[in-house]
Amino acid sequence: MSELVFDEVSVRYGTTKVLDRVSLTVPDGQVVGLVGESGSGKSTLARAAVGLVPLSGGRILLDGAELPRRGRRRPLQLVFQDPYSSLDPRMTIGHSVAEAIPHRLTREARAAEITRLLELVHLDPACADSLPSELSGGQRQRVALARALAGQPEVLIADEITSALDVSVQGAVLNLVRETQRELGLSLLFISHNLAVVRYVASHVAVMLQGRVIEQGPVSEVLKRPVHDYTRQLLAAVPGRRSS
Amino acid sequence: MVRRSSRVLRTPVGVVGLTLLAIVVLLTVFAPILWQDRADAVDTLNILAGPSVEHLLGTDALGRDNFFRVLVATRLSILLAVCATAVSLVAGLLLGAAPILLGRRAGRLIGAVVNVLVAFPALLLVLFFAVIFGVGTTGAVLAVGLAGAPVFGRLCQTLVAGVESLDFVAAARISGVRRWRILVSHVLPNIAEPLIVNVTIGAGSMLLAFAGLSFLGLGVQSPAYDWGRLMQDGLSGIYTQPAAALAPGIAVILAGLAFNLTGEAFARGFGITRILGFPPVPAVASPGTPAEPAAADADPRPDTVLDVHNLHVSFPGATGPIRPVRGVSFRVGRGQALGVVGESGSGKSLTALAIAQLVEEPGQVRADRLHFAGQNLLDGSDPRPRGRLLGQNLAVVFQDPMTSFNPGHRMGPQLAEGARRHQGLSRKAALARAVDRLRAVKLGEPERRARQYPFEFSGGMRQRAMIGMGLMGSPRLIIADEPTTALDVTVQQQVLDLLAEIRARDDAALLMISHDVSVLAQVCDRVLVMYAGRVVEELPAAELWTGARHPYSRALVAAVPDMATDVDAPLASIPGRPAGPAEVPVGCAYAARCPLADDRCRTVEPELVADAAGHRVACWRADETGALDPAIKIDEVVTR
Repeated sequence: MSELVFDEVSVRYGTTKVLDRVSLTVPDGQVVGLVGESGSGKSTLARAAVGLVPLSGGRILLDGAELPRRGRRRPLQLVFQDPYSSLDPRMTIGHSVAEAIPHRLTREARAAEITRLLELVHLDPACADSLPSELSGGQRQRVALARALAGQPEVLIADEITSALDVSVQGAVLNLVRETQRELGLSLLFISHNLAVVRYVASHVAVMLQGRVIEQGPVSEVLKRPVHDYTRQLLAAVPGRRSS
Repeated sequence: MVRRSSRVLRTPVGVVGLTLLAIVVLLTVFAPILWQDRADAVDTLNILAGPSVEHLLGTDALGRDNFFRVLVATRLSILLAVCATAVSLVAGLLLGAAPILLGRRAGRLIGAVVNVLVAFPALLLVLFFAVIFGVGTTGAVLAVGLAGAPVFGRLCQTLVAGVESLDFVAAARISGVRRWRILVSHVLPNIAEPLIVNVTIGAGSMLLAFAGLSFLGLGVQSPAYDWGRLMQDGLSGIYTQPAAALAPGIAVILAGLAFNLTGEAFARGFGITRILGFPPVPAVASPGTPAEPAAADADPRPDTVLDVHNLHVSFPGATGPIRPVRGVSFRVGRGQALGVVGESGSGKSLTALAIAQLVEEPGQVRADRLHFAGQNLLDGSDPRPRGRLLGQNLAVVFQDPMTSFNPGHRMGPQLAEGARRHQGLSRKAALARAVDRLRAVKLGEPERRARQYPFEFSGGMRQRAMIGMGLMGSPRLIIADEPTTALDVTVQQQVLDLLAEIRARDDAALLMISHDVSVLAQVCDRVLVMYAGRVVEELPAAELWTGARHPYSRALVAAVPDMATDVDAPLASIPGRPAGPAEVPVGCAYAARCPLADDRCRTVEPELVADAAGHRVACWRADETGALDPAIKIDEVVTR
């Protein structure tokens, strides 16, 4: 069991309320999509969950318990939007991934674990010795995913992980995320501004507007019968082909 | 790093700095070994003698040779300056890294203290610490070092804060990496370059501060001597024997210059990112400017706004010209909307820039034909009428509306500027037109908006204003390069609607570049698919999902999920990397990533061939792609 619960979470920057009593549940082994425009608080919610942003109210619980903020075991991991700034440009890929492994390993075990993780995200293990600058955007995002998985998380948060990538790569990364989530039975909070992407990846969806969750439910339900005006606007604005 | 260092060596500043530094280092190491005896030899017969062949700079009160004393003093002077710099650096690093090591709140407090200390004159701090630590060498090192700490602390704070805000530090933190480790393995390596530069320059001023302290009698004490001490000794005889005081002074200046110039050269070296010294592009005769086929082929239809034939853009590269655009041809008629889609590096944006005449040196634009509104844009004559033609009839909308405006000017005058230049309007008339155009792009309260600065506009509003700027003339063509990529979906829709409305109202043509096929499908009549600098397919936008014949177009369309995508099947993706403009392969550029590629594809580049309906495709196996289900087959290739 690994259920992530945001319980009335509020965050302030100075006097501005960025998150206003947000309640959201990511059920065990499920994918919840989080959509909303820039500035609606999606990323802040992700950063609050991993402890990068202090809460001004509410609680974030994993299986009913507070998340550990100290020590090496971190059951909640985050994959960032920009694979160009989320990897240290002076650290090799292998080193970046190894750093997130929570327990001490012998040299051989460490190398084996790096190989396993890189293979898990369909990367050639030989690139463990490369620097990020030698990889493409899509490959970097795979490394970022491998690093997040190195922490053996129970819940993964993916914050706009495809929006900095070329379309041709986006599909591959989405496939990989879906596949890994199913294989490892992870609970996944998938943040995106793109409803079509969320529809493809998630089983549940939550819509944020100005720091509040205004609508949530199963994807098919919300997309077919949106209740809130803003959700209808969002749906109407998705360009391209539509399902009938 | 190595390449940059060697480049540093080659600049005049670098050569002088490093030569001086080498001399200083050699003297530091060898002078006391070679000349200690001669510097300490007391010659009572030659007290306070003037310069002579035997004693180049004369002798001091005990008859010791001034010249050798200056040389020998190099070691102590330099070592003390280096020690003091080290003290400064360590203290500065600790102060600067406080936010990481102690947490945010304590870090902020220390930051405030550092900021106050920086405001104190450094010399005052040196004297203050010198009194505390007492007269003598150790005291002076600590005094000079600690007095320099606030400056280094401030520098480190800024550098550390810059790196600390990056995602990889956050990622390390989330993984539970300890603070100390984050500092050592992530932060320090990434601030090392600017820090080294500043330390080198800092060492120069430390040297000066030290000489000053010894000169005042607070630093090195007899019988030890550094340059400052020698200056003080020589001062009493400055009128009778100036060399004794001036020589150590000159030594201080030269050593200081050695540090400063070297630091300066490295600072410049690290700042340069482009490799200079391209070989010149071989002069290519502009192909077919007056050539027969091009002339014969010229478009007879009068309502063609843009007619591009065989457009090339090239840049000089280290091993020969790089050609990001290789023979692009298309036409846009009045009121038509043409979309251009492709991955980054496909040459789509450069094609647009070339049409708008915005490709800068050393880029070269060539074409058999580049006609806009009936005029030849590549005509070598006077560029001014062309400038006016483009200024009045062409609107360009870029991706990032924030960087398209000057942040220091109000919006109204920025819009008006072009109209005053191209249409010869008065300031007042141009401003009135600007307000009117802001109204035309549906910005509320246009009069007030015109007086505001770009930062007061939201992203969507800036993009509207950018379009409004394009509408200052009466554009016959709007080139929009990823106009909505930086915007939210709902705002994107508004901007797309606005573009459609302008097209309908003014009968303007639209050339829209995007990586997102679904956006193009919504706005455009026809779509060009570009790959590795060439058009690989041109087809009606409505047929993107059903009628695309090039495997690349099909994969591109299938890779983007939309509201009709089958959620149970994996998305299509394209294996490998796009062919970069520097290494375009022979044959079809897409062959390496194509599931259908055979030997012919890998050796002979397919021509862009039109069918009866005007659907153009450049693929040897275009007739077979119907059998290819991109969602399944291409993805099978990916996982290999």
